[in-house]
Amino acid sequence: MRRRRLLASLGVAAGATLALPSAAAAHGLVGREDLPIPKWLFGWGATAVLVASFVGLAVLWPKPRLEGLTERRAFAPAKLLDPVCGLIGTAAFALLVYAGYAGTQTPPTNNLTPVFVFVLFWVGLAVASLLLGDIFKAFNPWRATARAVGWVAGKASPAGLPEPMAYPAWLGRWPATFFILGFAWIELVYAGRTDPSHLATLALVYAALQFVGMSLYGIETWNSYGDGFGVYFGLFARLSPLHWTRGEVLVRPVLSGLTKLDVVPGTVALLCTMIGTTSFDGFQGGRAWTSLAPRLTDSLRGLGLSQANALEGAFTMGLVGMVLVVSGLFWLGVWGMQRESRGRMTSQQLAWRFVHSLVPIAAAYIIAHYFSLLAYDGQRVAYLVSDPLGVGSDYFGTAVAVPTIDYGWISATGIWYVQVAALVCGHVAGLILAHDRALLTFKQSRTATRSQYWMLAVMIAFTSLGLWLLSSANS
Amino acid sequence: MTPPIAHAGHWIADLLYVLPLAIALGFLFVQSRRDKRADEAEGTSTPVDSPPPA
Repeated sequence: MRRRRLLASLGVAAGATLALPSAAAAHGLVGREDLPIPKWLFGWGATAVLVASFVGLAVLWPKPRLEGLTERRAFAPAKLLDPVCGLIGTAAFALLVYAGYAGTQTPPTNNLTPVFVFVLFWVGLAVASLLLGDIFKAFNPWRATARAVGWVAGKASPAGLPEPMAYPAWLGRWPATFFILGFAWIELVYAGRTDPSHLATLALVYAALQFVGMSLYGIETWNSYGDGFGVYFGLFARLSPLHWTRGEVLVRPVLSGLTKLDVVPGTVALLCTMIGTTSFDGFQGGRAWTSLAPRLTDSLRGLGLSQANALEGAFTMGLVGMVLVVSGLFWLGVWGMQRESRGRMTSQQLAWRFVHSLVPIAAAYIIAHYFSLLAYDGQRVAYLVSDPLGVGSDYFGTAVAVPTIDYGWISATGIWYVQVAALVCGHVAGLILAHDRALLTFKQSRTATRSQYWMLAVMIAFTSLGLWLLSSANS
Repeated sequence: MTPPIAHAGHWIADLLYVLPLAIALGFLFVQSRRDKRADEAEGTSTPVDSPPPA
């Protein structure tokens, strides 16, 4: 009887597997990829990998291993490296602003500024930070300029510069959170996002705000907590095996850098914002949003907004809504863990202890959602370095009359596999970090494993959400 | 006006992404109940270490 029921279930599942993709194909759901199995089955496979990893961790990882691991000295970089990198970063920033104002405005892809900001900087530097560590700190043009000005002012003033104010503990990473949310709003909502001159102005405004923050609270303190991009790339850099410190480069086991993350107010919100805004980028390309957005826009027009403002309003609501959805999922996991701890720890204590497990997920979302942008639009940099203003110059001999992108070097199928691999690896890394921290938090390994039921559910939810967003955006 | 049923294929395909989560949640809920009952039978509690520094 049981066997018959099992066979019947398998029959229904197989029938659904065969029937649904063809039914959906009539509506254009099947994307451009040539995949051997339907996309949703990748979601099931990813869930199976996460469950197997969870069981493996429970059985084979009974004691904390990542916390307290020591770093090994790899090499000492030249003393001049920091100022030279700072000079390069400042020159690149100046070129970006100049190209934004002086370069061609249409089409924006013929101007270096939009491609540099949205492809090389936002995505490329995030990937570079994952591999090489916190290299943005050295190239950060605001930090480099402030350090240079501070050095000159210190030499000129015999009494020395006044000490910066103490950074308020309650402020934590909240400034960085608002800067990242603001950048995501510009990238995904703002109508003038591809306008090079608008981007140049926004870059100058951002730089001015950083100078105010650094002069009030000190360069390194502001860089670590207030500078949105400094904090954003710094979080990804903690996944890297390389740790750049003053005067030397250390090597550490992968993931161990995140166990030393100093959690302050705003850290949870920042990571939820990073994941939520990337999620909205995928969501806005899918069917659900394309059917919801016109209704929202019409409602806002009914309130007296112009079509352009209503559209931006609707997209703002979508962006904030997705950040809230991601935050809700994380806090649901925390609530579940708190139940397991029988109320001995507050939700905030648990959220702070486990928030580091969101960093690899944020990295996975960035790679999964933007890999194609980097792979295809990143090619524009080759001709834009020779003609940054789009006026026909050819400084390095790489400019072309009609810019083209080679879409053949990696197929859509290849990109899909990279996206799935990134999502699975990122969530397994998140599980490992959460499991390791649970072993420290809960005395018994059995209790630690039980507390992680909830984090497993959160990881499965994030993986399913990520794959659904990618599949709907690609369809 | 397009009848909602016309997009049933899409919705069902979308639901297939939620199904693993629903199955996992169901399993975790059952397992959690079993663990709790086992704890009550053993008379054990859930000790935790000191809260993290603020």
